[in-house]
Amino acid sequence: MSELSSNIPSLAPDGQRRNRSLILEHRGLSTDAIMAGLARTGAVCILLMLAALIIVLAITAWPAITTFGWKFLVGTQWRPNELPLIDAAGNIVYEDGEMVMSPPVFGALPVIYGTIVSSILAIGFAVPLSFGAALFLVRLCPKKLIGGISFLVEFLAAVPSIAYGMWGLFVLAPFLQRYVEPTLKSGLSWIPGVNAWLFVQTSTRTGESITSELPLTGRDMFCGGLVLAIMILPIITAISRDVLKSVPRAQIEGTLALGSTWWQSSFEMLRYSRSALFGAVMLGLARAAGETMAITMVIGNNNQINKSLFAPAQTMSSLLANEFAEASSEIHRAALTEVALILLLMSLIFNVVARRLVVGSNANTAAAH
Amino acid sequence: MSAARKRISPAYQNYLNTKSTVFKGLCIAFTAAILAVLAFVTFYLLQKGFTHISLSFFTELPIPPGMENAPGGMKNALIGTIILIALAGVVGIPLGMLAGIYLSEYSSNSWLGAPTRFISDVLTGVPSIVVGILGYELLVAPISANISYWMQFTWLTRKLLHLFPNGTFNGYAGAAALAFIMIPIVARTTEEMLRLVPHSYREASIALGATKARTILKVVVPAATGSLVTGIMLSIARIAGETAPLLFTALGSRLLTLDPANPFPSLTVQVFTYATGPFKEEQELAWAGMLILIGLVFILNLVVRLTIHSMQRNKLARA
Repeated sequence: MSELSSNIPSLAPDGQRRNRSLILEHRGLSTDAIMAGLARTGAVCILLMLAALIIVLAITAWPAITTFGWKFLVGTQWRPNELPLIDAAGNIVYEDGEMVMSPPVFGALPVIYGTIVSSILAIGFAVPLSFGAALFLVRLCPKKLIGGISFLVEFLAAVPSIAYGMWGLFVLAPFLQRYVEPTLKSGLSWIPGVNAWLFVQTSTRTGESITSELPLTGRDMFCGGLVLAIMILPIITAISRDVLKSVPRAQIEGTLALGSTWWQSSFEMLRYSRSALFGAVMLGLARAAGETMAITMVIGNNNQINKSLFAPAQTMSSLLANEFAEASSEIHRAALTEVALILLLMSLIFNVVARRLVVGSNANTAAAH
Repeated sequence: MSAARKRISPAYQNYLNTKSTVFKGLCIAFTAAILAVLAFVTFYLLQKGFTHISLSFFTELPIPPGMENAPGGMKNALIGTIILIALAGVVGIPLGMLAGIYLSEYSSNSWLGAPTRFISDVLTGVPSIVVGILGYELLVAPISANISYWMQFTWLTRKLLHLFPNGTFNGYAGAAALAFIMIPIVARTTEEMLRLVPHSYREASIALGATKARTILKVVVPAATGSLVTGIMLSIARIAGETAPLLFTALGSRLLTLDPANPFPSLTVQVFTYATGPFKEEQELAWAGMLILIGLVFILNLVVRLTIHSMQRNKLARA
């Protein structure tokens, strides 16, 4: 198209304008070239944005990367402050009358664990519900209701995450603390192992381990998973509805003609579009893993790995939200930036895989965010 | 094969039918459950918001708890959010639209098209808190950490520093972070909307002798104006609710300030601080602020939906 338009002389109605454009063209500055240049700048800008994101984070995180190396990924301790060194007997070590301080330690395993477990919980709650709802919207829903339900689902995907956070903090967490968790505790404790797994905490102090009952606060991993699930429900529902809608009609009619029941043909639909559905789940996972405000408000913010789902935890994003603005030492900030870098790379991988899978079906993944 | 056609025993068929009914019921139940949960959440937020909103919310500045007339209102945060959105829009909308125009009109035989499209999709999924950290590293830390370093350079850096007398968190950084989130969204919606403009429009314009730039600016973009505005509104709805990118860039403030060189108030950050804080009066303000945010998102979404609906109808009528 561009060849066409540049070969034909401009037929602008008034001669002056035409002359001016000819002069500009003579200088190699036609409006065409300017427009193309500007548009290309916009596109290059997007490429630069991603590059800047990765490069800047990597440079800032470099001190932490070189100091801790691979141990950063498996270290279980996150301690930004210097502490008095304590020997095996539990006494503070003195040297020339002064306390010996141990330097700050940063290990990201607790927050990586927190992110993974809370996201998996969220997916576990959200996926069956969303797929069920998507099937309902595609196959069962009366025509009159579709518009309303779709609008509701899309609106709820757009509600700011801090709204879900506030609801979780003031409604869900107290409810869990007062009713759900005590009920679960009394109802499940008779199963061998469950009590030790979910409702008991062990802490090591001065060499000996102390076992005590876990206080149920409501602000814990379980609550975080639930809030994340509620947040990703609309997205997974919307995308999987679009995916299921694009299953060819012949496929469905074929199964019905072979005498299958409603569920058998629905199952066939799910199986037919399984890779795109997997992509929808991955997009939900990416959103759950990167979600910050809601999870910061409900997960309890404790930088330790705890096997119990009812113990406060921390995710990568909530760690950043809690500590970044107050990080004073450079190594602390570098360590936090390295966490951000891990989070970024994780979400890039999720997004790339998901979009590869959903591409080809008619689902619009860009609109779902 | 035909001889080997097996009959399904009635018992098995019964089992299949029951199973099917059960799953059908489950699908309905799941949908109902989702709608119930989500309706409960929204209803609760709305109800709380409406009980705590008042006129003083819009007209007063926050008053520290314990003082007379506490907690006041959130005028500063409302104005701050509007300014932040405007600043982000000034940068983000033109850049995003240019990228969108490139993707739709210029990228067909260029290596740049596919990666740009893919990366802008991926960028929409980047956790927003990471964008906040980028904003901090680029626009907050260099100023605050190295003031003496910058001062030794030319008059230009000194002039630039004068823009940031406090040398810390500032509204410009917040707006830039929001623009970062906005650009890929605007780019992709612009591209999609421009692709909806029939190809014959472009051909007709070229055939009349218009240049390509003129075709785009006078024919293609005007034909899609309505839908472009919808896309921009969606992106505004998205950044209006963002909190995480502002935490380390604009930081938030309890003062009314119009100069983005200072730590800058925003509705979302203030709601977050109040909601997680210990004071009952401030939590009530947070509910009211939340209502404003949700109301904004709801109205923008509704307008978008109605516009798209009417456009689709127009398109059908034209066809």
